Amino acid sequence: MAGNFWQSSHHQQWLLDKTDLIRDRQHDLNILTEEEYQKIFNFFASIIQALGEQLKVRQQVIATATVYFKRFYARNSLKCIDPLLLAPTCVFLASKVEEFGVISNSRVMTTCQTVIKTKFGYAYGQQEFPYRSNHILECEFYLLENLDCCLIVYQPYRPLLLFVQDMGQDDQLLTYAWRIVNDSLRTDVSLLYPPYQIAIAALHIACVMLGNESQKSWFAELNVDMDKIQEIVRAIINLYEMWKSYDEKKEIQGLLAKMPKPKPAPQR
Amino acid sequence: MGDNFQNNKTMAPVMMDYDFKVKTQNERSKVEDLFDFEGCKVGRGTYGHVYKARRKDGSDTKDYALKQIEGTGLSMSACREIALLRELKHPNVINLIRVFLSHTDRKVWLLFDYAEHDLWHIIKFHRAAKANKKSVMVPKGMVKSLLYQILDGIHYLHSNWVLHRDLKPANILVMGEGPERGRVKIADMGFARLFNAPLKPLADLDPVVVTFWYRAPELLLGARHYTKAIDIWAIGCIFAELLTSEPIFHCRQEDIKTSNPYHHDQLDRIFNVMGFPQEKDWEDIKKMPEHATLVKDFKRSNYQNCSLSKYMDRHKIKPDSKAFSLLQRLLLMDPNRRITSEQAMQDPYFTEDPPTTPDVFAGCPIPYPKREFLTDDDQEDKSDSKARQNQQQPNTQQNQVQANSHDHGANNAKRMRMAGPNQGNNATGGGQQEFHQQQQMMFGGQQQGGQSQQQPNFQQRF
Ligand SMILES: Nc1ncnc2c1ncn2[C@@H]1O[C@H](COP(=O)(O)OP(=O)(O)OP(=O)(O)O)[C@@H](O)[C@H]1O
Ligand SMILES: [Mg+2]
Repeated sequence: MAGNFWQSSHHQQWLLDKTDLIRDRQHDLNILTEEEYQKIFNFFASIIQALGEQLKVRQQVIATATVYFKRFYARNSLKCIDPLLLAPTCVFLASKVEEFGVISNSRVMTTCQTVIKTKFGYAYGQQEFPYRSNHILECEFYLLENLDCCLIVYQPYRPLLLFVQDMGQDDQLLTYAWRIVNDSLRTDVSLLYPPYQIAIAALHIACVMLGNESQKSWFAELNVDMDKIQEIVRAIINLYEMWKSYDEKKEIQGLLAKMPKPKPAPQR
Repeated sequence: MGDNFQNNKTMAPVMMDYDFKVKTQNERSKVEDLFDFEGCKVGRGTYGHVYKARRKDGSDTKDYALKQIEGTGLSMSACREIALLRELKHPNVINLIRVFLSHTDRKVWLLFDYAEHDLWHIIKFHRAAKANKKSVMVPKGMVKSLLYQILDGIHYLHSNWVLHRDLKPANILVMGEGPERGRVKIADMGFARLFNAPLKPLADLDPVVVTFWYRAPELLLGARHYTKAIDIWAIGCIFAELLTSEPIFHCRQEDIKTSNPYHHDQLDRIFNVMGFPQEKDWEDIKKMPEHATLVKDFKRSNYQNCSLSKYMDRHKIKPDSKAFSLLQRLLLMDPNRRITSEQAMQDPYFTEDPPTTPDVFAGCPIPYPKREFLTDDDQEDKSDSKARQNQQQPNTQQNQVQANSHDHGANNAKRMRMAGPNQGNNATGGGQQEFHQQQQMMFGGQQQGGQSQQQPNFQQRF
């Protein structure tokens, strides 16, 4: 569907308004500060990334899974479904949609177990991955419903490639900007801005980082709302600022403990 | 901060919030609460069962098609169909109205507009008539209008980077009486995929029997990538079949469960109709993965006297007609030379008389029977049902019917006529959560044209 972003459900239904987004998060933001909330998403984006890498899916699949994850919690509190279950469910669904192929239940389970144990021990201690494949399957239906069956997500990677080509630029700029796009998945920008704007913002940051002045005129000639680009740039820079003074390994257990959690059925 | 974290190895966390679960359960509508469809199965394909349905609340009296996807949960093809149809919107592409997820039995249901006809049934009807030496009264421009709308729909898909990959008469639906009368709807996107996705071997994705009759020669020679040209070939095959009532590349299909794309008999059939490709006609044929097998298995001299023009001439389509010249451009062996849907729509065939009409029946009575309901024991022995079908269509050429029934299990099932779904009468609002506003009326206006302008303009032959 690369040709038709403007008619897509992504454009028509899933570019959210910032004030709406903040309002819908109120329930969670009564318990967590905005920064704590972002740190929790940062953590689960890492889990999705690690699961995807372990399963050897393409970055596109990982990006789509991350956006599913963010879309779900844009509409629901963190307590509705345990994010530790939703994260692998998003990877599982995205791999089918992006035609990576169906990952077998058992492979999903062993991957979750390995990844949680080997890469996220600092968060979960000795705890095993607590879910079974039937939980993932059940969760998948809830995910699909909450996504309103909108499964095709546009990512900034393709526009990024086109822009770099258009600039006549080298691989270094592309590599940098590509990584920045990956990092942007940990912010809210994929919920708020169209992918081509995110691509431009990533390029902008990359040029600044590389001290590449020669592209000033390229940006100047773009027919885009530069205020929007600046907003995206700021969101990504904020993430980098946050990372500087943040030791996830130390803080994450506390954050996860504080996070709103699902309540079981009342006892009769 | 981290001190108060309780690490409890034995207690599994609660996966889902109880209030959230109850709330979504209450909001979720069940397909069987909203629609009547019991006993109204009209199709059984590889990927599911299709029912004719009516709304229980009577908020409208339209017919709907409900497709229950085979198996449980979200298969890859279900995912693809939902993902793509959710995004696509074109008058000649079937409209997905809504998805129902049944959590208890883990079934997935897709709600579509109901299309009374499809090209498989339409062509079968003509073939039966031909065998009976009877004629079917249809407007002169019908085939042309059908082809034009198929091209229009495919052009939309292709320009949105979607390949259909499974075009065949059974997947081309035609709307019956109603505001969209006589409009083509391309259906069955279970196979469709985005172009740029890396190709998995067919057998990897969907281990099912698929017909080879509409398969482009490059696929049969092991091409690893689907292209727009592959859909165009299939459209050429469908066009020929509309013109002659015979599947142009009809081939025995006993041994097609193999995952190997190379299929000797199917290639042989294509060469028998088209002639063996000249080197100058298809330079890259040498690069095909199965080229060596082709050279080993086939002798050019065996097809010396074959050509598309001779084949079509035998079926009373003159080689100097515009229809033939367009057909030839759609059925070029070399995929690089085959025309695009856009070029095809510009072909002079569409500007010569008779003109195309948005209602392919051009306002004339629709001669084809409505879909029949299948009984639930349609799973039983195929040979038995084949015999019954032959009874039902008395003088149909036996071999053709058999060949077709290999193609579609659904269509050789035991049938019986039954009453349509009951109409509810408590008028409350229609279903919520439907994806697109119902837009039938948007095109409704054009439909009238056919009826008033088009004097019954019958042709004897289809
Ligand atoms: N919208 C519809 N209205 C009426 N009948 C329909 C509709 N969609 C499908 N059908 C009928 O049901 C049959 C099967 O539907 P469809 O082709 O979508 O399913 P499938 O299982 O993917 O089939 P296939 O065997 O072609 O892969 C069709 O050939 C047609 O006869
Ligand atoms: Mg079908």
